[in-house]
Amino acid sequence: MRSAYLVLAILGIVVLLPMAGLLNLSQLPGFEPQDLQFWHSAYIRRVVVFSFWQALLSSLLSVIPAVLVARAFAHTGDFPFRSLLLRLFGIPLVVPSVVAVLGIVSVYGSGGWIPLGRSLYGINGILLAHVFFNLPLAVRLLLPVWQGIPRHHWQLGEQLGFSKWHRWRYLEWPALREGLPGVLLLVFMLCLTSFAVVLTLGGGPKSTTLEVAIYQSLRYDFDPAQAVILALLQLSLCVLVAVAMFRFQKLPEVEISISSQAIESQNYRSLLNWAVIVFAGIFVGLPLASLLIDGLLGPLGRVVSNINIWRAAGNTLMLGLAAALLSNIAGWFLLRGSSELANQGHLKQAKLIELCGSVIYVVPPLVIGTGIFVLFSDYVDIFEWVYPVVILVNAMMGLPFVIRTLGPSMRQNRMRYEYLCHSLALDGWNRFRIIDWPLLRRPLGLSAALVAALAMGDLGVIALFGTPKTATMPLVIYQQLGAYLIPQATVTALLLLGLCLMVFWALERCIGGNQNA
Amino acid sequence: MLEIEQLCYRFAGDHSENMKFDLSVGAGEVLSLIGPSGSGKSTLLSLIAGFLKPERGHIRVHGQAIEHIPASQRPVTIVFQQHNLFPHLDLFTNVALGINPSLKLSQQQDQVIIDALDSLGLTGLENRKPGELSGGQRQRVALARALVRDRSILLLDEAFAALGPALRAELITLVKALVERKQMAALLVSHQPRDALIASDRTAFIHDGRVIAVQPTRQLLENPDLVEVRTYLGSM
Repeated sequence: MRSAYLVLAILGIVVLLPMAGLLNLSQLPGFEPQDLQFWHSAYIRRVVVFSFWQALLSSLLSVIPAVLVARAFAHTGDFPFRSLLLRLFGIPLVVPSVVAVLGIVSVYGSGGWIPLGRSLYGINGILLAHVFFNLPLAVRLLLPVWQGIPRHHWQLGEQLGFSKWHRWRYLEWPALREGLPGVLLLVFMLCLTSFAVVLTLGGGPKSTTLEVAIYQSLRYDFDPAQAVILALLQLSLCVLVAVAMFRFQKLPEVEISISSQAIESQNYRSLLNWAVIVFAGIFVGLPLASLLIDGLLGPLGRVVSNINIWRAAGNTLMLGLAAALLSNIAGWFLLRGSSELANQGHLKQAKLIELCGSVIYVVPPLVIGTGIFVLFSDYVDIFEWVYPVVILVNAMMGLPFVIRTLGPSMRQNRMRYEYLCHSLALDGWNRFRIIDWPLLRRPLGLSAALVAALAMGDLGVIALFGTPKTATMPLVIYQQLGAYLIPQATVTALLLLGLCLMVFWALERCIGGNQNA
Repeated sequence: MLEIEQLCYRFAGDHSENMKFDLSVGAGEVLSLIGPSGSGKSTLLSLIAGFLKPERGHIRVHGQAIEHIPASQRPVTIVFQQHNLFPHLDLFTNVALGINPSLKLSQQQDQVIIDALDSLGLTGLENRKPGELSGGQRQRVALARALVRDRSILLLDEAFAALGPALRAELITLVKALVERKQMAALLVSHQPRDALIASDRTAFIHDGRVIAVQPTRQLLENPDLVEVRTYLGSM
């Protein structure tokens, strides 16, 4: 219990300290009183409107088709490549955004397989990339909704001669209605705070979001005052969305995992359902396939012989593992504290502790980065301290995943064995060694693998403070893109993807063990 | 031997009345506890085992108050309806946890475990995992662990509820013999009147957080004078 509060205290400091920096606005270089009337600035207005607009479009374009795809999967029963396809839908979760961007450019870009319009840079590309990430996520979140419809209801429907429309109207829509706002808002939030995609595919001031505008004011305009105003705006928007999310809290409870779950499905096969599945599969698979082919045919030798790539790979690996370690330790203690509280009947407090773990959704990385920048840049060389900051922020970004992956097993474990362990005097190290580790190493392995892969692919705070010496692979790819070295960037992206998948696999195996029990 | 005196408990955030228990169990006795769901049977066992802290009142074993002693050090051992065993550990280890939670055992203690498994008809199964056993066998293993813990109070919280009638009768008879031989005091929570008839000379009826009757089992079940008991049994 005490350790959970310690983690909460640290989280609080990491979030609130940078906030204190933001509130110091009037002392910042470049600050002028009329900055406060930001709504008079055409630039800021445009940025806010674009942030909102692209997030809205992205979430609608991801979630509405996802309903169709999830429904098609639920209706089609088992077929040969079903689990493989569902597994494919798990991959975008661990594919770094810059890598996906390159995959999308190589399919839909002007020289790609299916050139789409004159230029991919701008809203088109941003939407494509966001849908690539969030459509599969939404499918995986929505699929269990169909699973939750009792078998007897389907049978009743058959007995009553329900048509497709009746089934939708009486069985599927009522089940869906509960979870849908939560999923929509989650995707909206993810797109609102999306950084790497907009940074790489956004074209100039016309298609810039708040998150990227913060970066540009710090890194290019060196206007901390404007960065802080943007950060405060972003923060308020996120808080608003989070409050809305809290009201529609019913996110379907689903364990996030790459593997496919066994899902009981009904058999209502139709040509349309097949078409939806095939189309979705192609949409998700094509960028990955294209990246693989372009990467292998690219200047592999030139990239591999570049010492900077190897240094970046080392940095990436180190950062990913450190973030995974930190995130899982923090998540472990948070979850232990919350399940203890839940066991004592304090369900609200237990839920609250878990919600605190997801604070990064409300306070995006760039906002924290900005706060740290204005707070410390006068005293220390912030560029020397980039790793601790990146590790901390990435660990926080991983925390919601740790809570979702490890949480259900931890809670179940506590519920089943709490009394038994008490009566047997199993506590501390003995309890961890004999009970918790063997029973929880599997979800722990998965969550460590997830966080490591996410952190390794993250292009966020590192873009703000990274130098050539401290660059990670995502940053190198971004720089290669900026220099129009697309073939090199594609090869580097393929290497990064390989590294991420390898680390994912290794951690899941090493920590999770090879148990079938 | 086990005395419960004015033992009070109230659930956190619950506006209902306090529970308040009075009860005594003699050495070598298996006392059955019956009563409607939510009446407080499991709560009483959790209080005795030390999982819940009473607001007031005493739990005495051989005259000594135990309510301030941590759960693991009380002279009490409990068997639940399910999840008594850890699925990833073999039977031997599951029982061994009852002797030493860090699993450092002497040869003599190894033998104690083997003997306990033998005495419950589990000879040769010590390397099996709980998943390979039947429900009855799993509860036997839980009893074996209760035996090696060598505590004077045995609590059975619907321990046999998931088993069929014949198996239940067999295990209850076994428990009854063990309790008599080792002069333990046992409390058996069950929803089956027949269990109480087999297990206990005396049975207690719990209603709304109070023990409202302790009577000879046959009289309580076959000729109840309290309207609450009649309602519970459905014998109006």
